[in-house]
Amino acid sequence: MYNVAVRIAALLVLLAAACGHDHGPPRVQKRPKPDGSAPLRGGGPPRSPRNASYKIEARLDVQRHTITASETLTWKNIGGSPVDSLPFHLYLNAFKNEKSLFWRTSHGAMRGAHASDTGWGWIQVESVQIDGIELVTKLHYTDPDDQTVAELPLDKPVAPGETIQVSFKFTDQLPEVYARTGYKGDFHMVGQWFPKIGVRAGPPGEEHWECKPFYATTEFFADFGTYDVALTVPSTHQVAATGVLVSANDLAGNMRTLVYRAEDVHDFAWMADPYMRMYSGTAKLEHNETVEVRVWARPEQEAFAQRHRDAAIGAIERFSADFTPYPWPIMTIIDPPPDAAAGAGGMEYPTLVTTGGDSVFMRPGIRLPEYITIHEVGHNWFQGMLASNEADEAWLDEGVNEWADAHVMTELYGPRRGIDWLGWQAELSDVFAAYFPDRAGIPSPIATAAYAFVDTEAYGAQSYANTQRALATLEQMVGSTKMMAAMRAYTNAWSFKHPTGRDLFAALAQGTGKDLESYIAQVFEQVGGVALAVRSATCAPAHPPRGIFDDGSDHKLHDGAETGSWQCEVVVQNTGTVHVPVDVELRFADGSSERRSWDGLGAWKRIEIERSAKLVEVVLDPDHVLALDSPLRHDERIEGDGAASLRAAARISSWAQTLMQLEGP
Amino acid sequence: MIPAHRFGLADLIAAGPRAVARYTGTLLAVFVVQTIVAAACMLGVAVVLAQAFAHLPMWDEAVDGNLAALMWCLRAARANFLASGGIVFAALLLWQLASWFLAGGLYGVLGQRPEGRAETARCFGASGAATYLAYARLALCSIPGWLVAMFALGAGMGWADPRIQYALTVGDLVVPLAVAFLPALAILHVVGTIGDYARVELTLRHDSHEPGVVMTYARTTLFVLRRPIVLVHAGLGWLVFALVTFGYAFLAQGHAMYGAEGAVTLFVIRQGVALARTAVRFGVMAGQVELGRTRPLPPRRAEPAGEAAKRA
Repeated sequence: MYNVAVRIAALLVLLAAACGHDHGPPRVQKRPKPDGSAPLRGGGPPRSPRNASYKIEARLDVQRHTITASETLTWKNIGGSPVDSLPFHLYLNAFKNEKSLFWRTSHGAMRGAHASDTGWGWIQVESVQIDGIELVTKLHYTDPDDQTVAELPLDKPVAPGETIQVSFKFTDQLPEVYARTGYKGDFHMVGQWFPKIGVRAGPPGEEHWECKPFYATTEFFADFGTYDVALTVPSTHQVAATGVLVSANDLAGNMRTLVYRAEDVHDFAWMADPYMRMYSGTAKLEHNETVEVRVWARPEQEAFAQRHRDAAIGAIERFSADFTPYPWPIMTIIDPPPDAAAGAGGMEYPTLVTTGGDSVFMRPGIRLPEYITIHEVGHNWFQGMLASNEADEAWLDEGVNEWADAHVMTELYGPRRGIDWLGWQAELSDVFAAYFPDRAGIPSPIATAAYAFVDTEAYGAQSYANTQRALATLEQMVGSTKMMAAMRAYTNAWSFKHPTGRDLFAALAQGTGKDLESYIAQVFEQVGGVALAVRSATCAPAHPPRGIFDDGSDHKLHDGAETGSWQCEVVVQNTGTVHVPVDVELRFADGSSERRSWDGLGAWKRIEIERSAKLVEVVLDPDHVLALDSPLRHDERIEGDGAASLRAAARISSWAQTLMQLEGP
Repeated sequence: MIPAHRFGLADLIAAGPRAVARYTGTLLAVFVVQTIVAAACMLGVAVVLAQAFAHLPMWDEAVDGNLAALMWCLRAARANFLASGGIVFAALLLWQLASWFLAGGLYGVLGQRPEGRAETARCFGASGAATYLAYARLALCSIPGWLVAMFALGAGMGWADPRIQYALTVGDLVVPLAVAFLPALAILHVVGTIGDYARVELTLRHDSHEPGVVMTYARTTLFVLRRPIVLVHAGLGWLVFALVTFGYAFLAQGHAMYGAEGAVTLFVIRQGVALARTAVRFGVMAGQVELGRTRPLPPRRAEPAGEAAKRA
């Protein structure tokens, strides 16, 4: 018996070992060569005002997951009004305790990842100096409970056009990752990790600070600048970061300093991990220009790394061709280890994004991993270059990016190939539209600040899928060529600036030559949706009027013999709040069809028609213009047909019969 | 008759084809009942779904593989899908109740080996009716075994869940799935085989010994645990059952069937698969009866003194 127990135990240990991927102890990595390329592809003048530039020296302790750093911020007041205080984001304090706004609005969970009981994170500013004068005692939190924004009053205001330098010393404790930044085992994804100044927004002369605290649904907003960052890490760790590697030097004690420079970016993120490898490729742009694509993943994720790399190459090429060329020489994709992917994956930073979706269930025909990469790479346009305020207008980068992603997915993989597996096919944007709650039932319009949505579900539905559907509808209404041209004009006009939703709408109106005010007001700024349906459709044999005609002795009975044609009546309705023009296609038994237009005014429209063949089907919106609405009731047959139901039932009953046979004889 | 200790796996397996050949009509009769239940389930589900979707061509697309269309349909008619689930559940419950009678009938026929259609039918009905309540009590006796299996499944899933969640390859998936499911399946297999042999014993000895259900279950547990060959035999039956099922699934993959004719074709082909599986189960039952016949006789139930006096 003892032997049997020992054998079983040994077998279980072997089985358990077979489940994991043992990488062995970390080994010293070969020192990386500097990239040798300019931080901007082809060099050239600055693309942005570069009014918030940072020099940072940071040292990572991989055992304690801490970073000790010094930072010098050079900030220029490019507004028209003087500034008497400087606000700074201290994002890592979102993970400090349960009193932070982030915790209170996320409840310690985000996108399926959960905060651990021991992995709290924080940032402690130990020193703030201006002109060598220590001011740390003046630095105060705008909300003592939240601590994600601190304000530094200035003795002397910064006049318009003036520049100020602020030096910090700070320590980060990275959280165990569940929301973008932190560590998981040996993997470190470092984002939102340094004191970062807010943005002056508003009309010239009347600017105000935009420096919102960190909520679960808000992302980021920052000014462009240059980043010179020296990272000191163990030489056992691979490092990938925003920008280009300028130099790498080995230090005593198996440490290494890597210096990166990035230009015309508004954030800096980096990754350190002892086991990752790089899988590289090249995206080809116009005029034989290229962008190096680097995917960092652990060896066991190689198959997925290649999928991400191919998707990223396709995305950079398509986004560059469709909108504006990618301006930096390198795009880095971090593919986090599977146990860190829910927390660290699916996030965008300039020139560096994290992806995800690596799972045995993501078979090659299920292109969710590719989609995540395309979406995050796409953010380098819609937020990376077009640096909108993600806290106030999340839809402007997330939703517009979703709309562009749907285009890129179709261009790369063909229509309805987002999922193409075991006989199932679908466009991923259609799947998302069907998954999210209907916009008519959401009490916050699309154009709602991210922190002001009724709940995170509403934020997700409106900022992502419903914005994509709203723009897809607009595109169908104005024509795809015009829409793409208008979007291209918008990206060219607003790259390296801070566009707002109004700027996008103005660009679309100008580019398409249409008055979009009514559509924008109904779809983006108001609650409600489209709710089209066929209310009734009837057909009867046509005949002349029957009955008694004429008077007195001239009474004549007309029996009105049937003419052989059909008199049909269709009533269509829109019980939603959004009223848009729609085509109605009437299909007849002889295969013919006829289209009628409804201007969308009013809540219903009656259509009467006489034809030689009977009406068999009514199709609302036959060209699929109205992506805003559920398409389920856009197509109705007059006579019911139960064949599909029978087929589905045959499948279901077959499964039931299999269960029956497991039950009994 | 082969003595119990010399009864080999080949003898158990060989009993199957013999029984299928001899009692093909009985097998088909049971299968027809099953088909009727399945067809009723299909029609019920079809009517419920047609109520919601007969006028909506999008449903046709959903059934033909448009995932987004299926999601829209699921959202729009949750009540209809719930009702369909209710119909399936009712069919399974009905079959569970019917299966005690049908299994009793089959074991009776295999045990008594009647000749002729009428005699076989009489034997089937009499045996099924006579053992129905005993089989129901037997199902209650199996509950502890099921609970142990569920506990094993829960523990296995607890261990395997993060590994399944983070699996990157099919190889990564196989071990956690095996650890999660194999212990529970093994326990269920033992519990199921004990139940089968207990049914055989209750059927074969019903007229002569009137064995008690709990005692029979206990004796059969010992009988099965002392003879691993019976587990191998039943396990082979389930293996063939699975091979037929997955073989069909593999062959059917990618062959869409359109229209009402498609539905009928689908139903007919799947009934063929179900018939093959029923034959496999019937063959296993025949082997179990052959071996069960060799078991030592159970003790006769002590007759109450009053009853004996009355009879005298």
